[in-house]
Amino acid sequence: MSKGITVAGLGHEFRARGGAVPALEGIDLDIAPGEFVTLAGPSGCGKTTLLRLVAGFAAPTSGTITVGDVPVAGPGPDRGVVFQQPTLYPWLDVRRNVALGPKLRGVGKAQRLATAGRYLELVGLSDAADRRPYELSGGMQQRAQIARVLAGDPEVVLMDEPYGALDALTRERLQNELLSLWRASGKTILFITHSVDEAVFLGSRVLVMSPRPGRIVFDEFVPFSADADLAPEEIRALPKFAEVAGRVREAISH
Amino acid sequence: MSSTVLEPPRGVRRWVGLALSLVVLLATWSVVAAADLVEPHYLTPSPLQVWDAFIRANSHHAVGGGIDRVVRGEENYFLWEHLVVSLRRIGLGLLFGVLVGVPLGLLMGSVRWVGDLVGPYVDFLRSLPPLAYIGFLVAWFGIYDTSKVWLLFLAAFPPITLATINGVRGVRQDQLNAARSLGASGLQLTTAVTLPATLPDILSGLRVAVGFAWTTVVAAELVNGLPGIGGLAYLSGTQNKIALSVACILVIGLTAIALDAVIRTIEKLVVPWRGKA
Repeated sequence: MSKGITVAGLGHEFRARGGAVPALEGIDLDIAPGEFVTLAGPSGCGKTTLLRLVAGFAAPTSGTITVGDVPVAGPGPDRGVVFQQPTLYPWLDVRRNVALGPKLRGVGKAQRLATAGRYLELVGLSDAADRRPYELSGGMQQRAQIARVLAGDPEVVLMDEPYGALDALTRERLQNELLSLWRASGKTILFITHSVDEAVFLGSRVLVMSPRPGRIVFDEFVPFSADADLAPEEIRALPKFAEVAGRVREAISH
Repeated sequence: MSSTVLEPPRGVRRWVGLALSLVVLLATWSVVAAADLVEPHYLTPSPLQVWDAFIRANSHHAVGGGIDRVVRGEENYFLWEHLVVSLRRIGLGLLFGVLVGVPLGLLMGSVRWVGDLVGPYVDFLRSLPPLAYIGFLVAWFGIYDTSKVWLLFLAAFPPITLATINGVRGVRQDQLNAARSLGASGLQLTTAVTLPATLPDILSGLRVAVGFAWTTVVAAELVNGLPGIGGLAYLSGTQNKIALSVACILVIGLTAIALDAVIRTIEKLVVPWRGKA
């Protein structure tokens, strides 16, 4: 069962030469279980900082973050993280990379390899299971990373510009796949991107952050991605899609 | 990777070049040896005389000089046995070097205050020429193998430790974060991520340590080093058996190259991702 994320009064500062630099200020956010929240904004607006705080990689200067009923006090398997640069381990083949979450939890070898096989099939990587990560293309590496996170069975999935480094065609295909995965799994997802189209296409709710200090300036529910009757390819062609994207773009440049 | 019909591939050309240079070297050596530039002439043995000394040292042979007695190799050991004894010493020294250096390096690299506290001592040990404490080690552990293995351990473990620390500090933060987000505990983080990620550096450190241990063992065998290839090289020189001494030197050098090749092969097998990820 998926869980929600609650962020209350969140502020974060980076220590730098010449004093503290505010990165985030006054962030209040309630993400319901099963929501697909996309967070867009210019580079340096603090969106990655927000994600890393939710992941527990750093402690916020002020405010609280709760996942389900549990306050975040560090990284944990309830929050799976998909990084922009895939963090697959080159000393393991793809199958064992995906099986790592279950392995760390103490699941037996046969069972965890079967689990890994299932998730690799889900992301269309069954043929690459025995290869090493560095033998895969960038798109395949991201698929493998997503399979690894899902195999860990987290309550929420945090994705930090996972498709930012991919070519346009690959990126579109992976967006379609992710949408289907989310519709099928109902996981809570927080997805960071600097692409407006990606945010509007994937998100059931789109947020925009403004920089220095990072603040949420746009928060709107978007009906496309959750509508199971809409095929992924149809969404991008909707007139309403362009309209929402226009509003988001305006919020970013404002 | 361009190889045409007319041009043999790079690997072949390299070996042909090496073989040719070896022929030229041996020819020059023979000419110089035959010219008797240095008196007495046993000081400049020819390649063939060195080869004879090498064969004699690996077989039962007559003492010569009119004495009717057959001896086993040199100093009662075949040359290859001298070599094996030396290799066993550095093997043990390296084994203890890895057993101490890798965990110590992991600890020093992961826990900052341990690194700050122990770091200067490891640096101090590394900067000492190992032979500086052979006298002290002999006093403590006697003149037999124990003191030599201790010496080689002390020579081998600083480079292994320092390379391990270097590797631990170079592990990508997100590779650690990813494992923690998959539920890794502190110990699991070390075994599942830090150690394998550091393996390429550990092997680099091992390669440095092997070179260091090899030069040290040869020098350490100047004192009570028989059997031992370094001891034999030294003793034969002092006894004016120059051909044998040269044979030992060649064996020492070729063994060093072979050891390095072995570790590079291990690297290719154990860390195939090196330079790729």
